[in-house]
Amino acid sequence: MTTRRKRPGQLTRLETVSAYATLAIVLIFALFPIFWGLSTSLKMPLDIHRVPPTWLPPTVTLQNYATAVFDARFLGYLTNTIFVVFTSLILSTTLALHAAWATVRFNFTGREGLLLLMWATIMIPGIAVIVPLYTVSVDIGIHDTLWVLIIVYSAWLVPTLVWLLRGFIAAIPAELEEAARIDGCSRIGAFWRVSVPLLKPGLLAAGVLVFVMVWNEFLIGYSLTLSDGNRMIQVGIYYFMTETGVEYGPLMAAALAAIVPIVVLYALLQRAFVQGLTGGAVKG
Amino acid sequence: MSAISKRPVKLLQPYFWLAPALVLVVAVSFWPLAYALIQSLYRSNYLDLGTFTGFSNFQRFLFSEAGLLRAWNSFVLTAGTIAIAMPLGFALALLLNLPLRGRNLIRTLLIVPWLVSNTVAALLWAWLLNAQFGPVAETLSHMGVVMSNVLTSQTWAMPALIVCNAWGSFPLVMVFMLSALQTIPKEVREAARMDGASRWQVFSKVTFPLIRNTTLVTAVLTTLHCFNGVTIVLIMTGGGPLDATDIMALRVFEEGFKLHRMGIASAGAVIIFAINVLFTVAYMRVLKSEHSA
Repeated sequence: MTTRRKRPGQLTRLETVSAYATLAIVLIFALFPIFWGLSTSLKMPLDIHRVPPTWLPPTVTLQNYATAVFDARFLGYLTNTIFVVFTSLILSTTLALHAAWATVRFNFTGREGLLLLMWATIMIPGIAVIVPLYTVSVDIGIHDTLWVLIIVYSAWLVPTLVWLLRGFIAAIPAELEEAARIDGCSRIGAFWRVSVPLLKPGLLAAGVLVFVMVWNEFLIGYSLTLSDGNRMIQVGIYYFMTETGVEYGPLMAAALAAIVPIVVLYALLQRAFVQGLTGGAVKG
Repeated sequence: MSAISKRPVKLLQPYFWLAPALVLVVAVSFWPLAYALIQSLYRSNYLDLGTFTGFSNFQRFLFSEAGLLRAWNSFVLTAGTIAIAMPLGFALALLLNLPLRGRNLIRTLLIVPWLVSNTVAALLWAWLLNAQFGPVAETLSHMGVVMSNVLTSQTWAMPALIVCNAWGSFPLVMVFMLSALQTIPKEVREAARMDGASRWQVFSKVTFPLIRNTTLVTAVLTTLHCFNGVTIVLIMTGGGPLDATDIMALRVFEEGFKLHRMGIASAGAVIIFAINVLFTVAYMRVLKSEHSA
């Protein structure tokens, strides 16, 4: 090996090795719980309760998935969740997109104040308003419907989406919209025709944020619905746990089924995920 | 249409596009919060507001032996989670900012726990820590440590919750910190090294001041997420054994949806909201004071 003059910032061999060792330990910490759940979900009932436990399933079976996931009830939760994700996505993004545009492109009295009012709601935690939301939803008769979930999720997403989309809209020069107006577009028409097509990365990040939030949410889904037909996926898994007790094979299969779609999407859309989930709070 | 009659319409245009979003947000966030404030002063009978009782709901929720224990537990859980997730996420960000091969893949994999819902995270950890069939107990027994059932142990239930919470939280810290670090040009740090600064000096005098704001934002987000979270505790321990992991957020949930004592639940909600505001204001003050210094 030739000896080279070390540049500042370059790592010594010892530093490299210890960096990788640390990362390896953290990787085990990060992924082992999921690996263990996956392994359990592929085991026969007898192998799940084997002492000492085996790391890998001695016999691989998909029986747990057949019982827990490919079952009418679970598929119902899945359908509900997908419906609520898409409807919330359309509602919250439509509202946030226009609100973001109005506050970027127009200078009007009360703009800062109204934005602050909206963003202040990020400080109100779900647990602080869940009881009144329940009371009101029962009072006005929308309790135990998917619509109440869509309304609440959308309302909670809008402030973050406005924040996120404002950044993306501001990055598009206002002159582009103005040029379209000279060609006879209205202001909103110019926004739709010129800017919205350029907002694809922003809308993708927004979509990811909505998807992950709604897909993973438990508290609202549990509190504002009652009947089995209106359960979301996380709520369904919770009931599965409380009803069947400790049937870990099917339970882990259901848990894995709830993780897989998000991880697959994440693998495909990494950049949008990080942008969406950090709410545009970090530039770059 | 004349030009004059068009003008007010033009002036109102931004309000028109902002209003729907604002109305929805206010209706679903501020309005229920106001309702919780009122309800917290009443002895509610399920959905009926009931009779005015002053601050007795607050007294029952917080100023009792069990109430103070819950408050303490909430803070222990939050502080414990922060104490693991922040340094871990921070250290990982620093490591992944080094010129290491495969760092993008490692970063991608380390983000995964953050994508897992709290419901599933709690189930995974409960099963992992199972004393009878779990691999952790098995591994420990080889090292001569006999692990009892962690989640029903008064000593170990809280640390288990902290680990599960930290598991789901550290990637957020890592991602935020890494993005912040990557905004610092390499030359800035290299220049400091050339001038003879040690690694630690570069970090404390150059790098850290540039990412302070992000650190604080991350700290606020992680603190509030943990403090307000119900799901992990509900699933892993249900507040037990014997209230050892009973936290304020879980209690609000149980008062409201299991015991249907809405007044007490609302008092708890108001207390939690007040603490959220305090946390945020406190962090913001730190941010401001250091800025002017």
